[in-house]
Amino acid sequence: MDMTELDAVVEAAPGRIAEAADLAALEELETELVGRRSLLSSLRRSLGSLEAEQRPIAGAALNDAHQAMSALIDVRRAALDLEAENALLEDDRVDVTVPGARPPRGTHHLLTQTMDDVCDIFRAIGYQVATGPEIETAWYNFDALNTPPTHPSRFESDTMYVEPFDGEERSGPDELLLRTQTSPMQARYMEKHDPPVHVVVPGRVFRTDTWDATHAPVFHQIEGLAVDHDITISDLKGTLAHFAREFFGPEAKTRFIPHFFPFTEPSAEMHVWFRGGWLELLGCGVVDPNVFEAVGYDPAEVSGFAFGMGVERLAMVRHGIADIRHFYENDLRVLRQFT
Amino acid sequence: MKVPLNWLSDFIDLPTRDPEVLDEILGSLGHEVEGWETLRPTFEGVVVGKVEEVGAHPNADKVRFCRVNDGTSTLDVVCGAWNFEAGAVIAYATVGARLGTDDAEPFEISAREIRGVMSNGMICSARELGLGDDHEGILVLDELGLAGDADVGRDFSELLPFDDVVLDVSITPNRPDCMSIHGVARELAAYWQIPITLPDVDVAPEGPPTDARVEILDPEANPRFTGMEVDGVAMGPAPLWMQFRLLSVGQRPISNVVDVSNYVMLEMGHPIHTYDQDTISDGRLAIRRAEDGERLTTLDGVERTLVAGDILVTDPSGPIGLAGVMGGSTTEVSETTTRVLVEAAHWDPPSIMRTSHRLGLRSEASARFERGVDPNLSHLATQRTARLIVETAGGVVRPGLIDEYPTHIDPWAVDITARDVSRLLGPEPTLEDSDGLLRRLGFEVAGTPDGLRVTVPTHRPDVTRPADLVEEIARLHGYENFPDHVRRGENGALTPAQAKERSVRRILVGAGLAEAQTLSFVGQADLDLLRLPDGDARRIGIRVINPLREEEGTMRTTILPGLLKAVAYNTARGTSDVALFEVGRVFIPAADSTDIRIPHQPVKVACAAVGMFGADGLDIHGRPTDVHTVTGILEMLTAALGRTMTLSAAELPALHPGRAAEVSIDGKPCGIVGELHPAVARDFGLEGRVAVAEIDLEPLIADQPDWSFDDVSAYPPARFDLAFVVDASTPAAAVLEAARAADVGGVLESVDMFDEFTGGSLGDDQKSIAVRLVLRAFDRTLTDEEVGPLRTVIIESVVAATGAALRGG
Repeated sequence: MDMTELDAVVEAAPGRIAEAADLAALEELETELVGRRSLLSSLRRSLGSLEAEQRPIAGAALNDAHQAMSALIDVRRAALDLEAENALLEDDRVDVTVPGARPPRGTHHLLTQTMDDVCDIFRAIGYQVATGPEIETAWYNFDALNTPPTHPSRFESDTMYVEPFDGEERSGPDELLLRTQTSPMQARYMEKHDPPVHVVVPGRVFRTDTWDATHAPVFHQIEGLAVDHDITISDLKGTLAHFAREFFGPEAKTRFIPHFFPFTEPSAEMHVWFRGGWLELLGCGVVDPNVFEAVGYDPAEVSGFAFGMGVERLAMVRHGIADIRHFYENDLRVLRQFT
Repeated sequence: MKVPLNWLSDFIDLPTRDPEVLDEILGSLGHEVEGWETLRPTFEGVVVGKVEEVGAHPNADKVRFCRVNDGTSTLDVVCGAWNFEAGAVIAYATVGARLGTDDAEPFEISAREIRGVMSNGMICSARELGLGDDHEGILVLDELGLAGDADVGRDFSELLPFDDVVLDVSITPNRPDCMSIHGVARELAAYWQIPITLPDVDVAPEGPPTDARVEILDPEANPRFTGMEVDGVAMGPAPLWMQFRLLSVGQRPISNVVDVSNYVMLEMGHPIHTYDQDTISDGRLAIRRAEDGERLTTLDGVERTLVAGDILVTDPSGPIGLAGVMGGSTTEVSETTTRVLVEAAHWDPPSIMRTSHRLGLRSEASARFERGVDPNLSHLATQRTARLIVETAGGVVRPGLIDEYPTHIDPWAVDITARDVSRLLGPEPTLEDSDGLLRRLGFEVAGTPDGLRVTVPTHRPDVTRPADLVEEIARLHGYENFPDHVRRGENGALTPAQAKERSVRRILVGAGLAEAQTLSFVGQADLDLLRLPDGDARRIGIRVINPLREEEGTMRTTILPGLLKAVAYNTARGTSDVALFEVGRVFIPAADSTDIRIPHQPVKVACAAVGMFGADGLDIHGRPTDVHTVTGILEMLTAALGRTMTLSAAELPALHPGRAAEVSIDGKPCGIVGELHPAVARDFGLEGRVAVAEIDLEPLIADQPDWSFDDVSAYPPARFDLAFVVDASTPAAAVLEAARAADVGGVLESVDMFDEFTGGSLGDDQKSIAVRLVLRAFDRTLTDEEVGPLRTVIIESVVAATGAALRGG
């Protein structure tokens, strides 16, 4: 078998393969070098005509030549593949700074977020969340909360009353009104649950207020109540100071100054030091024994604390919002600032 | 309440005048200082001068020519006032003096020529020195007893306590005893444990006893009436020091007798009324309740119609005063009064509150009476008033303190045990500490076997129970001295319904809607805008009895009007693509199922959208909002919560007749969805298609007993599309349902519609609905041989149910 011609082909192969300009040219060359009609293939077919002892030697030489050329072709092919892909990617280049395809962005209302935040702070220390009706009876809104029948908060200048829904006139404790506070849930909750009670109550409340920067006829409160056999004023202070640190940050300082509410005794107002000044944040106190009596708890056996905070005020203080009307205009330019 | 420190110093030696410290201390006692004002003279360069000569001005009739000694020299001054003569000691603004230094532009005194005569400075009136309104004449200091010859040349600002700090203290409604300078001083004395000086109430009665008589006909309305006669008074202005004090607390000086009553009220906290005793018929007063329809002209000149329950002061001629609220016009003191009857009475607080609120006559006096004035202060306040009237208006106190006090109100005892204190306050303060704290407040304390017996003075009507004493102990101990302890509960988990309600909100927010909070009210006009027919249940809302605005007159029966107004608010401000939702209560005039005393107040989920909705970018701007925008949102919401929603097309009020549906969730009707009727949209100020939905929250958050895992197949799906030609009126849902109903041995994974086509070769009353089906078996790869017959089964099911023809089939 004359290998001279093949040797020349093999010798020339690396240069030719390297020069193949594209995949088509490489494919053509591959056919020529190692394809069925290639010199190599024809020599392989003629192997059978060799002497038995020469066959393995010649076969090995042919295999070597095949492998050498195939390997070079594969390398070149990989290089050309990469080039082709790179060219495609280059063609595919875009300006990534143009506006992306944004999914529509919804937002939670800041009041909902604030209520969820407050509830979650208390949930993390084991308080349940409860909600209650917005049209209430005077009993739950006032009487059960130790508010005397002549208390000015009951006047129409403070409280909105509603007509009976069934045509039946009501008076005194049965009168229907728009709850002026979330506190009526104190009584409703205690009627349904035995102590210990640890609960927060977010919700909507109503007052006969004219719209201005800090007043609205509708606003939101969060009530809190803890009742057990061993609760003292220290629990009240510690729990609310904890809340203030969670809500305003670990540096938040609080102070409690004595105040007056019909349904707590002693009562206090909690102030928080925020942005350089003391801010009145919420009212609180030790539950008045009359409240326990109204719901059938024994005030000699249990004690507790209660608090109530304005959600709008919390949000206004935390986010520097000056006008309460922003919450109810639902301007998307405002809503989208707080997701 | 305004508390000037100079006035406070009448009662206690203030250890500090630093307002920040006082703020801290009063705050710790429960009397929040809302602010303070520093008072300074409003003038500079005013000295005490003496008028040496007064003469006519050579060229003017209305002014006079004076020579004024300023202590070093005597100068020419022209003066327009006539209430003085030579020898008067006056306030003299020298050349260069500045008046009104609290104004933006103070007035500087210069030497100037007045009608040919040089005037070197000015003789000042009270008003020019910021001492009240009086500018009828100049201040004659020697007549007022403020200065004499020896003071000539002194700086005028030294004569009166001009430098003062006035605290604005907020008094809580349970503490009427602190609505006075004396009361605030009493609290501070308890805090600092320092002595307190009581106001001087000594009087020196002279002459014949008074002939004034009082009869209490209703002791419940008027538990105590005290009075005293001062005869021979000369009405006029109050002394400058008193006017000065009244001005410093914002009270306008009126006359000596009236100013004294106000002064005593502010000082002692007991409102005072004064009568011109000569106008009281027969000098006899009687106290009774009014009858409905009685009339009285109050001293503001308004005729008032009274109702039963109002408390009246009467004389034999009829009603002469509305007790505790406002006096009558016929018996008030006037310029000509010479005989004054002072009244300090104790009135039934709730009655005063009802009357003053009903008539809108809320005053400093009624504010004190309705909270509760100490009945055992009345006689002292009467004497203090009589004494000060004599001091400021002359006259003599006539013997005979009128004191009708049918049932004496005595201090009461409250027992408190060590446990009462410790169970609310903890181990500190101890019972012994508490004893000391209560004594500081002026309570009498005696020991009992297990605690203390505390006798509460009558100026503390708020203290009647152990809890009230605990508050006093805590307050004086100092809230800041109790340690902090975080109180933990047992379980802060949300209930499943609460968690799902949060999910509802989160899913809608994730879908790209913004949450709104709209008012809980609707006005009739809003319901008219929705064009709800008369019989529509949403027309019948629960009325608010005392709304401030008509649009807040009814509790909402639907969230949609509020939400649509919020959408319109945005579009009116240039935001054209708006998608809002709200989760909130509506109010139904039917009894609540769990509490029949109150109406049903279910929570609804509503949404409203206009403009484009969806992804937004360079070449994508969502799709125009239409009914499908909102049905799609509801489908996503219900599917995410594991519910099944079905829609059934319906013509509904407010909605587009051809683009609205009733919504059912898990087979239960629960709301509506659709596009607004274009006319309704227009009325709300909205352009283009407006899509809305309003459904009950309840089915979305209800318990799901069967919410278990569905295993997923490991085998590949077989997908194919079918197009059916159906009658134009056939709902797509019918085609989809029929496909789902086909019996294919449980291998139908999904059916979804991907195209709708009309026109072309189809008849006018036909449409083509194209659906994509996915079949997949759990246990094997479906072969083409298996799929072929199943495809036929599905086609047959759709054809049978809807009369469809397979397109291209």
